[in-house]
Amino acid sequence: MLSLRAVARHNGFPLPRPPLSRQSTRHIQTATVTDSDIARLASQPLHPLTLADLCKHGHPPLSKQALFNSANFTLSLLPARLAHRIQSLRSLPYIVVANPNVHKIHGNYVHSLSTLLPYAERRIETLQDEIAFTAVMADLVHTHSNTISILARGFLEARKYITAREVTRFLDEHLRARIGTRLIAEQHLALHFSSRPHHDLHSSSSPSSSSASSPSSSSSQQHNRDAEESSYIGVIDTALKPANIIRNCEAMVGEICELKYGVRPTIKMVGETETTIAHIPMHLEYILTELLKNSFRATIEAGMEREAIEITIAPAPASGEAQTKTLKNKTEQMARDDHVGVISNYDQGSVDYASGSNKPDQAASGNIRALAESTPGVTIRIRDRGGGISPENLKNLWEYGFTTFNEEEINEKTSSSAGGGGGGMDAVMAGGGGPGGGSSLAGLGYGLPLGRAYAEYFGGGIAVQSLWGWGTDVYLSLRGVGRV
Amino acid sequence: MLNIARRPSAHLRWTTTLLICRPYSAPPSNGNIPPWRPSNVLDEWVQREAHPISLRQLTFFGRTLNESRLLSSANYVRLELPTRIAHRLRNMQTLPYSALTNEHISHVYEAYYRAFETFRKVPEEHLTVIPRLAMGILEIQDSVSGDECDRFMNTLLRSRISRRVIAEQHLALNETFHSPWHFDGKKSAVAPEDEFVGEIFLKCNAKEIVEKCARRANELTRKAYGPTVSLPKIVLQGHLDTTFPYIPSHLEYILGELLRNSIQSVVEQRGSAEPPPIEVLICEAAQHVIIRVSDQGGGIDREILPYLWSFAKGPRRMKRLKNLGQVPRLAATMQDLQLPPSHPDSTAGSGEKFGSSLASLSGRPPDLRLGIGLPMSRIYAEYWAGSLELHSLEGYGCDAFLQISRLGNKNEVLSTRATMDAV
Repeated sequence: MLSLRAVARHNGFPLPRPPLSRQSTRHIQTATVTDSDIARLASQPLHPLTLADLCKHGHPPLSKQALFNSANFTLSLLPARLAHRIQSLRSLPYIVVANPNVHKIHGNYVHSLSTLLPYAERRIETLQDEIAFTAVMADLVHTHSNTISILARGFLEARKYITAREVTRFLDEHLRARIGTRLIAEQHLALHFSSRPHHDLHSSSSPSSSSASSPSSSSSQQHNRDAEESSYIGVIDTALKPANIIRNCEAMVGEICELKYGVRPTIKMVGETETTIAHIPMHLEYILTELLKNSFRATIEAGMEREAIEITIAPAPASGEAQTKTLKNKTEQMARDDHVGVISNYDQGSVDYASGSNKPDQAASGNIRALAESTPGVTIRIRDRGGGISPENLKNLWEYGFTTFNEEEINEKTSSSAGGGGGGMDAVMAGGGGPGGGSSLAGLGYGLPLGRAYAEYFGGGIAVQSLWGWGTDVYLSLRGVGRV
Repeated sequence: MLNIARRPSAHLRWTTTLLICRPYSAPPSNGNIPPWRPSNVLDEWVQREAHPISLRQLTFFGRTLNESRLLSSANYVRLELPTRIAHRLRNMQTLPYSALTNEHISHVYEAYYRAFETFRKVPEEHLTVIPRLAMGILEIQDSVSGDECDRFMNTLLRSRISRRVIAEQHLALNETFHSPWHFDGKKSAVAPEDEFVGEIFLKCNAKEIVEKCARRANELTRKAYGPTVSLPKIVLQGHLDTTFPYIPSHLEYILGELLRNSIQSVVEQRGSAEPPPIEVLICEAAQHVIIRVSDQGGGIDREILPYLWSFAKGPRRMKRLKNLGQVPRLAATMQDLQLPPSHPDSTAGSGEKFGSSLASLSGRPPDLRLGIGLPMSRIYAEYWAGSLELHSLEGYGCDAFLQISRLGNKNEVLSTRATMDAV
């Protein structure tokens, strides 16, 4: 999984792990967050994030000015988003927020907001400021990396006080917003680490730079990396090959299966396997891992591990100008008709519906910035012979926390620490810690709804078709994140 | 006041005879002037000859009844009745005017005319109601929202299916009951009719129906694109012995549409020497049967995807309208081209005894794209609490999933009063 450190490493700047986090906690300024702050920020409309936003600062390495722009842009978005999350959490029943796990998450959001408040009314105009701001971003990303597993545990413990439906409704909104918030922060961080001005500065000012090379060799390293990594714009890989991600996920999930079940299903890729799209590797990896986990488990439990799971990669053609116009109009109309979160197979104009803007009409008319050219995408179909999903389970497929693992395993999950004991899956996936918080999610029933949230984030979707008694077909459609 | 437009589909031909219609005598006692109707339609039927039948023929016919005879009988009735009524109408029309202004005679005349309309419309209604409705929907799209149009169509078509199912089932059962070899309580294993309960074939075999529909679809495609077109192979897999109770004509229509769509898209999109095969999977579970039709025909265009299940179409509206307009003419020729009952693929051979508008629609040439195959198929599929879903892999192909309830214990899905009144 392409974590922040991996991106930094790719760009020729190996980040030693502990010093950074310790450094940032020591040096980060905070300001007390008052209720009126939260109310004020939460009343601001949320900017619906578009793909163009993520890429508009340019192709790395960024110039100083572009980097400042990115920082300021990030600064303009995040406080309001965090405030909305805090309010949303506070509207849950008291007894639920009192649960230690849920409460911890609430505290995390307040803390993060407190680190951003000092920047209120300020613009970032100097390199020092920008570095300090980046440290704040790193802290934010780090703090919230386990949100999902902690929240999941919290809701599980509090399941007597809140219905499954309420949980799903809250989580759907919250987790989708989280995708956006995290993306904004991580994008700035990645752009920061892939931009030249900093290498010289960092390598000279960092105290623990014993492992850091001298400026000249690091810049030549950077130059080489540039040539290789030029398909990246921050966290977006413009030349992402789904087939590669699928192979990686297959390897990982296959290992877990061997450990837990003793057998290992295989996959067969058909279609146009050389297809590339512009997308975010982290997201795609998460989605595919979850889908393959489901398919592999079903296949093994149905005794069909000899039947290869068929994965078809089908690139969608990009449409021409005229069609794009029709799509744009349709998109605007759809937004007006309040089709939030609906899976659709066609381009929704790369709009962040998840931000739940307070003024949907405004968002629909003014702020939607569909790309000038409709972007090519890809549909990935995963067909397994695992016996399908029973009609009773089909109803609950998209509920957060619905799982076909039994009660004992759930209790195991709630009592074990993150990444610790529990089932075989946990042990192996302890090192995970990706966007979904990897290991402790196994069997908690978050894979499908969260996967769908990721897929839908940029106008794609997941559809599941069960052939009860035979197998399941899953359709993952992804809209590319754009031509840049 | 001349009351001319009684029939909604009437072509009004205003001629100078308008003037002649003014009464020259005192108004009739009831104050009504008999309506003037354009008589061209009546003329057609009047010109037909009645075919009288004898008692001997009737007896013989009934004694050695089989499928083909039954069909002939039905068609005979269908054509004979309006012909004879037309003759009587013409008789009445040529009576002196003062006779018809009498209220009683006028009443009878009206009754006969209504009967004539009813019987005459059986073939027309039979075959053109659906295309006409579809055309109407497309034409009113500017004034009525797509959603409302769809709701209206769904309600109407569901109700239509239900009336036909009920009526035809009764007629079929009635006929079985009165058939010479039906003995109350005694089951004869020999008669093929035992596998039928009226219209319902108890042992629909998915494999056979798919193969039959495939053959038909292939023939039509060959007719349209020429005998040298390379057709994709249709590969069956899964639980091939599955049987379930269903009305064969419904199933044949749905599968026919799906296969036609698949074959057509493969031929048109790929059009090469080695077209990729179409895979049909039959999957049975305790409570239902799922049939998946999977093709590599390039998927569905993004611009029409939103309108896939709607009768209110998008960018291709005008073309659809034009094509739909050709169906009534098509229906007429289909009568002549209908396969003889002895042909294995004839619709008459599957126990569906009364002919159907479905069959004529299914027999349309492939290049006549009507745009109603999918929404219609869905209504039929959902009629017995089944479902029809489609997933498109854009640029690659399509997967269609037809789910059928196997136990036959699901009630027909109708539009209830509540759903109709709901906003």
